[in-house]
Amino acid sequence: MSPQSVHITSFKLLAETAQSISSTRGNNAKIKLFVDYLSELESDKDVELATQFLSEGAFSSVSGKRASVGHRTIATLAADFCEIDYEKVFKPSKTASGSSSETIQRLFENIPEARAKWKGENLTLQEINEVFESLYITSKRDAKQQILLDTWKIMTPLEVKYFIRILGQGSLRIGFETKSVENAIAKTYSKELETVRYARMISGSIGKTAIMAKNDTLDEAAFKMFSPIAFMLASPIESRAVTNLSEYIAEEKFDGMRCQAHISDGRIELFSRDLNEITSSFPEIIEFFSGKQLPDLVLDGEICVFKDNTILPFQLLQKRMGVKKPSKKLLTEFPVLFISYDVLYKDEDPLFDDSLSVRRDKLEKISNKYSIPITSQMKIANQDDVEELFQRALDHGNEGLMLKRKDSVYEYGQRRKSWLKVKKPSGSLDTVMLYAHAGSGKRGGTYSDFTLGISVKDDDRYEEEFIPIGKAYGGYSDEELKKMNALIKDITLERFGPTLLLKPNLVIELEFEDIQINKRTKAKYTLRFPRFKAIRWDLSPSDADTLRDVERMYQQKIDNERLRQGKNPSFIF
Amino acid sequence: MLKVTKAGYHGILLPELGIGLDYSGTKAEHIFISHAHADHVPRNKKLSVYATPPTAKLMKLRGFGGEVKPLEFKQILETNKAKITLYPAGHILGSAMTFVESDLGNLLYTGDYRTPPSPATEGFELPDADIDIFITEATFSLPIYKWKPEKVLAEQIRNFATQNLAKGFTPIFTAYNLGKAQELMYILKELKHPMQIHGAGFKLCSVYEDFGFPLGDYETYQRENCEGKILITPGSALGNGFASNVKKKRIAYCSGWAANESRQTQLTVDELIPLSDHLDFFELIDLCKKLQPKKVLITHTPNPKIVQHYLDELGIVSDFLDLEETGN
Repeated sequence: MSPQSVHITSFKLLAETAQSISSTRGNNAKIKLFVDYLSELESDKDVELATQFLSEGAFSSVSGKRASVGHRTIATLAADFCEIDYEKVFKPSKTASGSSSETIQRLFENIPEARAKWKGENLTLQEINEVFESLYITSKRDAKQQILLDTWKIMTPLEVKYFIRILGQGSLRIGFETKSVENAIAKTYSKELETVRYARMISGSIGKTAIMAKNDTLDEAAFKMFSPIAFMLASPIESRAVTNLSEYIAEEKFDGMRCQAHISDGRIELFSRDLNEITSSFPEIIEFFSGKQLPDLVLDGEICVFKDNTILPFQLLQKRMGVKKPSKKLLTEFPVLFISYDVLYKDEDPLFDDSLSVRRDKLEKISNKYSIPITSQMKIANQDDVEELFQRALDHGNEGLMLKRKDSVYEYGQRRKSWLKVKKPSGSLDTVMLYAHAGSGKRGGTYSDFTLGISVKDDDRYEEEFIPIGKAYGGYSDEELKKMNALIKDITLERFGPTLLLKPNLVIELEFEDIQINKRTKAKYTLRFPRFKAIRWDLSPSDADTLRDVERMYQQKIDNERLRQGKNPSFIF
Repeated sequence: MLKVTKAGYHGILLPELGIGLDYSGTKAEHIFISHAHADHVPRNKKLSVYATPPTAKLMKLRGFGGEVKPLEFKQILETNKAKITLYPAGHILGSAMTFVESDLGNLLYTGDYRTPPSPATEGFELPDADIDIFITEATFSLPIYKWKPEKVLAEQIRNFATQNLAKGFTPIFTAYNLGKAQELMYILKELKHPMQIHGAGFKLCSVYEDFGFPLGDYETYQRENCEGKILITPGSALGNGFASNVKKKRIAYCSGWAANESRQTQLTVDELIPLSDHLDFFELIDLCKKLQPKKVLITHTPNPKIVQHYLDELGIVSDFLDLEETGN
């Protein structure tokens, strides 16, 4: 293929660039390839789409849109396209290559029946974007399949491969993640990497950031009140070695719901962890803040049920979650409180770039002046302090501890080791509901058994986004079951007899007794006695725990059992 | 039709004729070895076997201790029960398909083969007869495997070498040391650039030269002066210090398995060159279609079912000859 035959705005060129990036070793060489590509693009829209497709997917992350086309739907459709047997031919091919989309590419190239059907017509980036949009607005499976078929017919197999990967809204698996795209944007438009990164964090969009970089307007990426910014996240302490604990402070980790409060001039809005507005669910918090003549503020904190001077368990908070207009009864029975632990904006000034110590200082002053509840902060010097405080947090009925680096800035949207969470080892996982199974007997007529999955989205051992980890059929109330059944209707993708394949949507906190190795399962682990602990209406599938978490929990369990040998050895010599 | 038995790890036995094919058991009077790759050469080193003259030489060089009676391609050997002829298989130098004719019917055993053949072999040729039983390997038996023409791959190989040399990088090709290594040298020799080959492969090169396949300007690998030469080595040697003193180098992985993109990150190489010494899936199905044997027996494959599925659709009877099952 000669370069002049491929137009710069064609999707084909993006696919070819992605392929070159994939087969090139070395980060700088990869970045250079994308810089060369990006510098040729002229229109803002093309720049936006090219960067977004490569690093976020078919839809921008902030849009929250999904194409909702399952892996299986794509695979079976591709098998039909090639006129081959899905079970006998496609599946073993996929197993051998290790990638569904690569298999589809190669079958489209190799199989004469498929070759006769496609003819690359050099679709533009914007035309591909329209295809993605139409997949989003179409809810019927047949119609989605038709769109896919119509598009594949006018694409080359290489385009189809990247089309499918981009549609998956995950990593393209070409060794070129968001950081590299930011780097390429900075290089293409001669901007500081940090400026680009900041703009992306604030805007939440790589595409918009690229446009701003191109048009020299990165300084417009500024924080705005009432548009939430991504939360700073904590890493589990087990997975990171902490060298100097004295650089951290500790706070108790509440078993509540993460929340960002924006307060300005009598207007108050609350945002959940997935950046949805949840103001109307918690009128008492609004009332609490509105009586105080506060300056402009953005607070990061936790909503907890607080009654009789006690923080009550998360299960009770659930009664309030998702309830748009809570009744008087609900408000009296389960009153909530917003406990702040960070301040991100005050008066005219964003505070993200200040250290935690500085932000904390401001937060304490606000708390003193306006009587706003904030977390207690405790100094730590060593592991013993952590142990002691952790136990105290558990005694308080809290989940565990948060360790926060005193000199850290607010790393919005990042999960690094500036914040660490110390939680009880094993016991519960945030899982995503993948299948619903019809109950029998007393539960006939409702979907009462559920297959729950964990995330393997960034796990290159798997093709899928989620894989099953366990099946649960208890732990929920009748009312919750009713509510789940109502939702399930809307998120069903496919029906196999008594079983429904669901669109990943519902996050379930799953409790279990033990983790065991089971080589026959996809995850290679099974949970003993899995049951619902809570339906996490406040979380989205991207918050689900990962297979790595399960592996870590298992390892920790093993390690713990080994430690006990010290006191009570199982062997002597 | 002839009876074919699986003999566990010991190869294939035709009990009625006393013939063993890539066989290392004790129940055959006549044993034929298809080619000198280790998985086809008897582990029992005291056996007396037949093989083509190049295979005989290669087997000896690689340590086979038994007797190898040379049998030229298309030179008929008659036993009291059968007539055996070797046909070129196109896999590596000396590789042969074994054609057995008897009163009970005939049989063609492919060993490993490639059609169109590797340029560094005697070619590929089929017996001019209707085949009763066709025992075929099916290493790459999935429709994701379709090889590019030899010409295209040869160009990719030469380009990889010239482009990297021009940029001051030492090109390293990782390839199996018998067959693939010499095919690469045969392709690369026209660059007229000095080559060095890993010792295990080097000692086999003279056999190629002796049988009329010049391999160009090459010598055995020498760590001190390998920089700037075209290097050829089994991939495993890279982990054991091969050319570790050369800072600027680029590595190409040459194998049919290189068709899978995942190999690049698994092996951390710079280029994947899907040069195989086996035939691809489509060539296999086409060959079965052309031969129309009474029965196809599939061996050496991770996916027998898929070949059977395609042969079923063509109305060709097939079965899986499971070499790994314990024989008697």
